[in-house]
Parts: sequence; structure tokens; C-alpha cells
Amino acid sequence: MSNVLRPYLAAVRSTLTAALTLDNFASQVVERHNLPEVEAGTSKEVLLNPLTISRNENERVLIEPSVNSIRLSISIKQADEIERILCNKFTRFMMQRAESFIVLRRKPVPGYDISFLITNTHTETMLKHKIVDFIIQFMEEVDKEISEMKLSLNARARIVAESYLTALQG
Amino acid sequence: MDTAFRKINIDIYDEDVLQDSELYEADPRDPAEVLEDAKQRAGMVRSLLAKNDIPAALTVVLENAPYGPNVDDAKARILVVDIMTLQTLLTILNTTKSADIPGVIKSLSLDTQDTLMKYLYKGMAMPGWGDVSGSVLLGWHEKLTEVAGVGCIVRTMTDRRIV
Repeated sequence: MSNVLRPYLAAVRSTLTAALTLDNFASQVVERHNLPEVEAGTSKEVLLNPLTISRNENERVLIEPSVNSIRLSISIKQADEIERILCNKFTRFMMQRAESFIVLRRKPVPGYDISFLITNTHTETMLKHKIVDFIIQFMEEVDKEISEMKLSLNARARIVAESYLTALQG
Repeated sequence: MDTAFRKINIDIYDEDVLQDSELYEADPRDPAEVLEDAKQRAGMVRSLLAKNDIPAALTVVLENAPYGPNVDDAKARILVVDIMTLQTLLTILNTTKSADIPGVIKSLSLDTQDTLMKYLYKGMAMPGWGDVSGSVLLGWHEKLTEVAGVGCIVRTMTDRRIV
């Protein structure tokens, strides 16, 4: 892990650990319903204060805790147009397969690139520290992945241009 | 057929619906008083910083910090106080040497540590504003979590008296 990123990820890790104290909690508004309160938003006494962790304007994480679910949204660093496109395609690809990731949300919260929804069922069936590890690892990998994709995209573009132009020359 | 009525939230018209004001006790002080107080504190902090007494300066800012959205017309004034307190706090945080941070945090009381955590999150929630620097706040956050533990973050999440 790079040294610059470490305090940021440490802050996300501790905040997420603090937020992941979830309990089974049935809806107070609709009988026999059990909804993630952070999504339903019907009773405000069970919603806790949302917390933001930011490195700079572009890289930030929003954690919205509630009694039985938390929503974690990540804004991924996008320095230029290519990174923006790559990031969009990458997150879209994952969100279309959201059920395989279990905690992934199908749509990001406005203003963010990707969102996770963790409910009490997830913390009961999976290990809490593993969920935290997964999110942290995802945040570490996603930057790396996008810059790698950008490099290979540029390399590929160069090869294509070269072979095209040599054909033209010959 | 018009179906907009299906989207109306009828629960808010319930008699015993929970109001925002019932979730926490409002700041008993008068907004003007708070503003006066904040100005006074800023002055005190400056003189304490000149003496390089950072723990005392932090205590001055964080004790009885103004909190909560105010419902009256004084909302704008409260915002001024909020910004002013945050500004004063950031000056302290920026001037502290990173080696001194753990010692400073340890010398604070539990309540003050919680309030500091609230302000750290508040500062991080508004990046690009003033001289908020993510790395300074993250450094403080890390040290504070080491000293005060995860419980401090939980108290920040659950306390309705938002700074």
C-alpha cells in the first residue's frame, strides 16, 4: 500500500468498523416489512449522522449509517477524460453484476461513482472484518486498475496507429 | 388518471410524528451570545497559540462548542459561528507539529475528544473550502482514533448535536 494513501484508507477502515454495528430491525412504518432503513428513510430516529472522509475534492467516501444497514459511497479519482470514461465503464460493469458482489448497490448515490449497501443480514452471514477488508481492498485496487487500463489503452492506440500508418505508407 | 397522490407521504401528517427538534436538546444559548462567545474564543486561541499552548487552545475551542441547526431567523448567524469555530480549529490543527499530536490528544478530556472528532469529519465533508487540507485532517483522525478508539467515531455518528 502506498504511503500517501495509507491515512485515507485507515480513516475509512476505522469509520467503517465503527459503522458496522448492525442489528435486525423491522420497519416501524409498515408491518411485517424489514427494509434497510438507510434506503427507506421513513423513520429518522434510526438514521445516524452521515460521515464523509476525503483526501481531496475528487477522492472521498460517504458513509451513511443506520440501525440495520449502512451505505458506503466512493468517489473515485478521475484526472482526465480517459480516466472518467474508464471509471464509468468499470463501475457500470460491476454494478450490472451487483448480485455477485452481494454488498454492491445497483446504482451509485448522486455525486459518487459506486455505492455499497451492507445490511444486518450481511454482517450476520459474513465476517465483519472481512467485509471491511473487502471494501478497503476494493478502494486500493480500483485506482491501480484504472491507471493500468489507461496505460494499456494508450499502448494499444499507439500500436493501432502505427500499423495503420505503415500500411498506408506501403 | 392523475397518480401523483400515490407519492404523497401521509405519515408526516400523523399526530405523534417525530419532529427533528425532539431528537436532541436545542442549544439553550441565544445566537447573539454564541456569536459573541465565538469571537472572544478566537481571540483567546490566538493568544494561546502565540504562547504555543496547543492543548489549552483546543480546549477553549471545543468546550461548549455551538451545535445544532437553529430554527429561528438566526440560522445565518449560527452558520457564521460554525464557520468561525471551524476556522479557528483548523488554524490550531495546521500549526501543530505532527510529532506533538498524540500528546495533545491525550491531554484532552473525553468530551473534548468527541467534539474534536465531530469537527474533523465536518472539515472533511467540505473539501476545497478555506484552508482545509485532507492530509492534515486525516493525520489527526488517525491519531485520535488510536487514542480514543472506535467508540469516539460511534459517538460522533450517534450524537444528534451536530456541530
